[in-house]
Amino acid sequence: MTTATVAAASPTRRRRWVPRFALSVPSWVWYLFFFVIPIGYIVFYSFGYKPGLLEGGGTIATDKLSLANYGDAFDETFLTVFRRTLEVAVLGTLLCLLIAFPLSYWLATKVAPKWRGLLLALVIVPFWTSFLVRTLAWRIVLAQDGFLSNLLVDVGIRDSQLSLLDTRTAVQIGVVYNYLPLMIFPLFVALDRLDPALREASKDLGAGRLKTFTQVTVPLAMPGLVAGLLLVFIPLAGDYITASVLGGAAGNMAGALVATQFLQNQNWALGSAMAIVLIGTILVALLVAAALGLLGRTLIRRRRSVEVVVST
Amino acid sequence: MTATVAVPHRRRRPDGVRIALTVFSTLVFVFLFLPIVFVIAHSFTDSNAWLVWDGFSTRWYGRLFDNENLKQVIRNSLKVAFFSTIIATVLGTLAGVALARRPGKWTTPFLVIVFLILVTPEIVDAIGFLIWFVEIGSVFSDGIGPFTGGEVRLWVGQSLFSSAVVTLIVRARLAGFDESLEEAAADLGATPARVFRQITLPLIFPAVLAGALLAFTFSLDNTIIASFVSISGSSTLPVYIFSSVRSVPKPDIGAAATLMFALTIVALALVALVLRRSGESTEQVAATLTGG
Repeated sequence: MTTATVAAASPTRRRRWVPRFALSVPSWVWYLFFFVIPIGYIVFYSFGYKPGLLEGGGTIATDKLSLANYGDAFDETFLTVFRRTLEVAVLGTLLCLLIAFPLSYWLATKVAPKWRGLLLALVIVPFWTSFLVRTLAWRIVLAQDGFLSNLLVDVGIRDSQLSLLDTRTAVQIGVVYNYLPLMIFPLFVALDRLDPALREASKDLGAGRLKTFTQVTVPLAMPGLVAGLLLVFIPLAGDYITASVLGGAAGNMAGALVATQFLQNQNWALGSAMAIVLIGTILVALLVAAALGLLGRTLIRRRRSVEVVVST
Repeated sequence: MTATVAVPHRRRRPDGVRIALTVFSTLVFVFLFLPIVFVIAHSFTDSNAWLVWDGFSTRWYGRLFDNENLKQVIRNSLKVAFFSTIIATVLGTLAGVALARRPGKWTTPFLVIVFLILVTPEIVDAIGFLIWFVEIGSVFSDGIGPFTGGEVRLWVGQSLFSSAVVTLIVRARLAGFDESLEEAAADLGATPARVFRQITLPLIFPAVLAGALLAFTFSLDNTIIASFVSISGSSTLPVYIFSSVRSVPKPDIGAAATLMFALTIVALALVALVLRRSGESTEQVAATLTGG
């Protein structure tokens, strides 16, 4: 409003003003050139094929386009790896949520404000250390003859040494560790913005702790919760570094299959098709989650509205 | 009123929920720091394998400076991080300002692209870059001036995601301020460039700084895109470490990681200090640093 009136009142300045999106032009160009076009190429290449040695060899040919790669992409090994990737990603995201919610809630509501900054900084520190190094570090922590393993045996918590490395459990621990901060930050911000008076009001109106939590705190923290789920699930589903460092043979993830096609097999067409399937799977998973969320909300609302009718 | 009634009531009984939450959160902090403690401890191992503890020694810190390969990849990493941070910060700052101050029909499609960049799995970006860089060649194979093609590829590859992050941080920061200051400066005869330099930039400075720091760390940290686009000679520390994982990682990697860790902590503390100086509360500082 103000901008418009000021600009209209001083036509001399108006003339010098360039289009409104001028400052974003560098980004437009950059994103078009280094994001939109490359992704377009992946889609295009996914319909191509790997030329045989007789046809001159190489990584990609696009003179005949077909859907053959998508047929190959859905073979049995690929589907097994995909299912495992989805399981690890979904379980990892849920575990992150289960760990992050109580912690964020504690940080936002129970900790004295003067300690809050320091504790938040402590959550940030691991996040700022090298992803690869902290993943590799779990090989030290979980080592069969390592400090932790022997300590657990000595104290008597376990009868035998840990044998977690190169298993699915190690991968699961690794991904939860690596993506946990991404769940904590948005949840903390959402819970921190929540006015304590709202919880007090709920209690004063007779709601118990559980009811206040499920009907006031959780719904109001929903934007942070959704942001956290997205921030964790999407990169986790595409991540293969954690799994290949900690999982050994059990750690083959969908992202690794794509990487193998590009870096070892030199079959760019099949690799591109797999990448497209990966994106598609992530999108479908998100849509299913969104649908479930909406369904749950409608059901809760319906139940609540019945309650109101009964009580009046 | 409410508070005076509620407080004595709650003080009377020991708060089980609070105790449980505190215990749980302490355990989470142990979980968060366990690997870091082990990384630092094992950089002082006397063994030839980083993952094996065999008595205390500082010899790997000395060896670090003899390992030409390792020194080279650390140098590459810092150089690439520097340039990709500049690209991401400039692009993100300009776009963030445009989004906050000059919204219009262009905003929605732009935000869609930014969102897509944020949600695209890194492996997809990586193969996209590989295909595209091979396709267009030129500066991405021959380089520009003193910089090799591999380096230029890394600058571009590692700045994409961060530029989207910087855009959102700067936009969020500037949206919190009224445009009246800029308008006043303009009415007093300041040119748009001067308004930007003397009013807008100081306002968004904490966000720009935090964004730049994030971009720098993302770049230092990046494994997947780097391993796809780097050409031998330009490869970075994470690529070097990742390739050593398949064999036996040497403790000098741990020593390098510990030094980088110390560097990160110093950088974080400095930025937090600067943000504090500029009048931010602790929580705002934390929120800015995490991109919130």
